[in-house]
Amino acid sequence: MPLSFKVPIFDVKNLNFSTRGQQILSRISLEIFNGEYIAIIGPNGGGKTTLIRILLGLNEPTSGEVKLYGKKIKDFKEWSKIGYVPQRASLVDENFPATVGDIVNMGRVSKQSIFSRFSDADKTAVEDAMRKMDVLNLKDKMIGTLSGGQRQRVMIARALASNPEILILDEPNTGVDMVSQKRFYALLSKLNKDEKITIIFITHDVGVIADDIGRLFTINQQVTICNTPKDTLSCDEMSALYGIETHSIHQHKHHEH
Amino acid sequence: MFEMLEYDFMQRAFLAGILIASLASISGTFIVLKRYSMMSETLAHSALVGVAVGLVAGYNPLWMAVVVAVTSAWIIEYLRSSFAIYSDAVLAILLSGSLAVAIIIVSLGGAFNNSLFSYLFGSILSVSHEDIVTIGIFGTMSLALLLTFSRELYFIAYDEEVAKTSGVKVKFLNFLLVTVVAIIIALSIRVVGSLLIGALMVIPTVAALQYRVGFLQTGLISLLIALFSVIAGMTFSFYFSLPSGATIVLCVILIFIISLVINKK
Repeated sequence: MPLSFKVPIFDVKNLNFSTRGQQILSRISLEIFNGEYIAIIGPNGGGKTTLIRILLGLNEPTSGEVKLYGKKIKDFKEWSKIGYVPQRASLVDENFPATVGDIVNMGRVSKQSIFSRFSDADKTAVEDAMRKMDVLNLKDKMIGTLSGGQRQRVMIARALASNPEILILDEPNTGVDMVSQKRFYALLSKLNKDEKITIIFITHDVGVIADDIGRLFTINQQVTICNTPKDTLSCDEMSALYGIETHSIHQHKHHEH
Repeated sequence: MFEMLEYDFMQRAFLAGILIASLASISGTFIVLKRYSMMSETLAHSALVGVAVGLVAGYNPLWMAVVVAVTSAWIIEYLRSSFAIYSDAVLAILLSGSLAVAIIIVSLGGAFNNSLFSYLFGSILSVSHEDIVTIGIFGTMSLALLLTFSRELYFIAYDEEVAKTSGVKVKFLNFLLVTVVAIIIALSIRVVGSLLIGALMVIPTVAALQYRVGFLQTGLISLLIALFSVIAGMTFSFYFSLPSGATIVLCVILIFIISLVINKK
């Protein structure tokens, strides 16, 4: 699909968002293309989640334009192309009556029409997604009984069940231990490289940014785009935005060399 | 034991009870999971306004109850989805407001207090053949809608925003759910009463949740608890001359307590 390299998945032009008299996002313009692996970092309250919510049509921008696969959000219909794992995903309500299978099945709901319910194709897609995230053996377990790392993988399996072209994860590491985090980033890289899934994830933890990230966006009301992690090291704006935490990137890189 | 079924009015009462137990518990599963439990109480009181208008103005109270309950459900859902206000507070205001309006209408209208009383507490033993046909037709339609969209409604109850970004028509389905629930409540208040229908809608699911099983099993357990409570409640009420609605509610509460105790961690 050579065209998909031309039309960006997300095309944001001069986006502004303010709420209750406070400017949250200011003059944001960016494009995200098929196959990219993007990390969005920035301080808490800097507008990372708001930007993602606007991209997904969950919040209306105050001004500016957002296009999804070349269409305005309200005209966009192919939502199954997008897998979204929100911030609180692994902090599930422990009493909600759902097995792992119930949750991952939700990923197929929008693929089904009223008259054709759960088909063999749905079943295969759900099992594939669970296998990719290594949760197939947990299928009949109640979601409330799982660890943070396991829940996180279940939530991503749900997002993957619709065979999305793009995966958006908001602070996926909330409530997840370090070992699971490492395994998790390895999985994300694999999905990006092997399955060609475009990945955008938000984190406030600069220490986790891996080498295989394609681009890094820092957001603190305004966006700064650094093209590769190597750029990041010399990205002055990032220093200015992030202050002391820029230091931890240097350290992180240093350890890897 | 089965001698009570030799009476026509008991046969009708059992049929109506079984229909309403099924409708209330299945719709109640979605209501509880969406944390709308209080909504069933509010809609039951809104339905009373319809009953009051019907009694005073000489219209069919059941139809008026459906109209007012559905309108009220739409107002609640509109307020909830469009404004950042405390939805439980809105429900509390509408609940007491509706009851006040219903009482004033009836009191201005004259000597209809006894009729209203039967809608407050239900009179399962005076269910007519026509009532059963009405409940059967509209109940089947409501149930068909709920079952058709059960996966979507479950997804919305789990996470409304993720459902929306997955392409589920959240707004439409939320309105559909509250509409169906309002219709089921309005159909039920003649039988179990507006003060008691909320219990039949909410408690079986809350009891079923104690068993910590998946979605389908939770729905089935909730249905079984509701059916058992209605049958047991009506049997007790027949043999011990107790008010039927209240006896049914006590049965469901008893099962809830038992479920709580046997599933204690």
